[in-house]
Parts: sequence; C-alpha cells; structure tokens
Amino acid sequence: MTKMNKDFKLSDIPKHNVYQVPEGYFDRLPARVMERTAAAEKQQVPWRPGLWRPVRLALAPLLMLLLVFVGVYLTNQPAQPEDQVLNLARVSETEIMDYLSSYAILESSDFAELNNLREQELPAELLNVTPTAAEEELEYYHLNDIDY
Amino acid sequence: MEDKELLEKFAQPESRNLAFNQLVRKYQQKVYWHIRKMVIDHEDADDLTQEVFVKVWKNLENFRQGSQLYTWIYRIATNECLTFLSNKKRRFFLPIHDVAAELSEKIDTSPDISGDEIQRKLQKALLRLPDKQRLVFNMKYYDEMKYEEMSEILGTSVGALKASYHLAVKKIEEFLKQD
Repeated sequence: MTKMNKDFKLSDIPKHNVYQVPEGYFDRLPARVMERTAAAEKQQVPWRPGLWRPVRLALAPLLMLLLVFVGVYLTNQPAQPEDQVLNLARVSETEIMDYLSSYAILESSDFAELNNLREQELPAELLNVTPTAAEEELEYYHLNDIDY
Repeated sequence: MEDKELLEKFAQPESRNLAFNQLVRKYQQKVYWHIRKMVIDHEDADDLTQEVFVKVWKNLENFRQGSQLYTWIYRIATNECLTFLSNKKRRFFLPIHDVAAELSEKIDTSPDISGDEIQRKLQKALLRLPDKQRLVFNMKYYDEMKYEEMSEILGTSVGALKASYHLAVKKIEEFLKQD
C-alpha cells in the first residue's frame, strides 16, 4: 500500500470519480422514474371503491336516524315568544279589556306601570283598586329605586 | 429548458408528464452522484434516486419559487441519504464504524468502483467521517458547491460549514498519512 509523506495534502490527489454505473443507466432512469410516479399517483386515490361502499352502507341508516331525530326535535319545540306576540296582536282591544275585567287579578307589582298609565283613561273595574290604595302601594315600593 | 419554464409546464395537466421527464433528465446525474457518494452501493443509490424523484413529483406543486429548484431537490436527496444511512445502522444494530467497514469493503470488492489505490484510500478515509461531515465534504470538494448554497440545503450556517469542511480535510489527510 502506498505510504503518504508527512507533508501530504489532499490537493495532491487528482479529483476523480471512482464510481461507475451500468451502461445506459441514465438513459433508462427517467422512464423508470416515470413508472414509479404513475404508480404513486394511483395510490393517491383517497377512497378505494372497496372501502367506500361499506362506509356508505353504514352511513345511510345513521343519516336517516339523524334526520328523524331532528324532525321530532323541531316539532316538539314550544311556540316562540314572537308567535305569542303575533297572536295577541290579532285579538281586538275590546276582547282584551273584557278578558282582563273578568279574569285578571292584578298584583302589587302591576302598579309599577301606573305612572305611565296615569294619562290614559282606565276603567275603575279593570284596576280594581282605589286611587288612594294605589298611591299607598307606590309609596311602599319606592319605585324610583327599582331597576327595570 | 429553464426551471421556471419546467415548473410552468408541470403546472399544466397536459404537459405535466413531459415537463417532469425533462426535469428528471436535467437533474438525474447530480442527484444520483450525490447519493452514490454517500451510500456507495449502486443498487441503493439507484433506489434512492428514484425515491427522490417520486418525492419531487409529489411535492413539486408546493415548491416555492423563492428558492432554486436544484437546491430544493438536493435537500430532498440529502434527507433521503441521511435517513437511509440512519436506518441501515438501526436495522442491523451496528455502531457507526461497522457500517463504515461494510461500505469500505464494498469499495474494495464492488465491480463498479474503479480508480487507483490512492483514490480508493481516499474513499475509505471519507467513510471514517460522520455522515453529515461527509456530506459537507462531498458537496464542497466534488460538487464544488458554494457555501451559501450548501447552507440553504443543509440548514447550517456558512461559518459552521467552512469549519466542518476544513476539519474534514484535516481528518482525511491524517487518515491517509496513517495508513
């Protein structure tokens, strides 16, 4: 084996590629790469039909159940407050007054609105309270201190 | 064909295959020799080269044109080499010098490795370097790459690469003197 001298430098060795390839290797390589890219592209198909079919079959009844559940849930929902407002709007004022005169029992808290209603003409039978009693109630609740 | 034109053609489905074929023809030798110098064996280099181009094919659409195409391909090739060598060591539960010894033996016995005695000794000396230092040495010494390009490929600073290369040269010269 050749012995290197003490002052040996890498630059003393000529730069040479010692590796070889089979003849025509680089002529064939592009075609072989293209074969592999074509195969890789086929593998990239996200759902193979063989896998997708049972998944679809399993999803169908689940979807049906979900639709039934949503349908039942929506039909059992109580009427929304907006609907109630709309319904009340359809009732005539006379009917409301008749109803309140006959059935309504006013609570003390209802007097809170008396200030707003003072200017309006309200039938005495509707309020079912004397002006003096109403004033006393107002004093008792200190309405100015209550936040609404 | 320029890289920009290749990429434009690759983006169009009707010219995709043709553009990629030209890309492989343009870069196949650089990629192959880069890999071959690292893994030594032709069959391994052949398999890895194809694997690199399959990865290029799959990811070329995501390639950002801010960097050069060939440095991007080099980076893929470099990663493939390092992963291959790392797996090789792990698979056989061999410490680093045993894989180096196996590759060193191939330099003596493989029919597709030529060169005189000094050239073979140089290749064996290279195998004593850690893989990443060997990469740095190959890229600078054989591929005559600029440090800035190497830095982009290896994600290491220019200063560190310069230091690594000079250290590699010193080690190789020492190895050659010893034998």
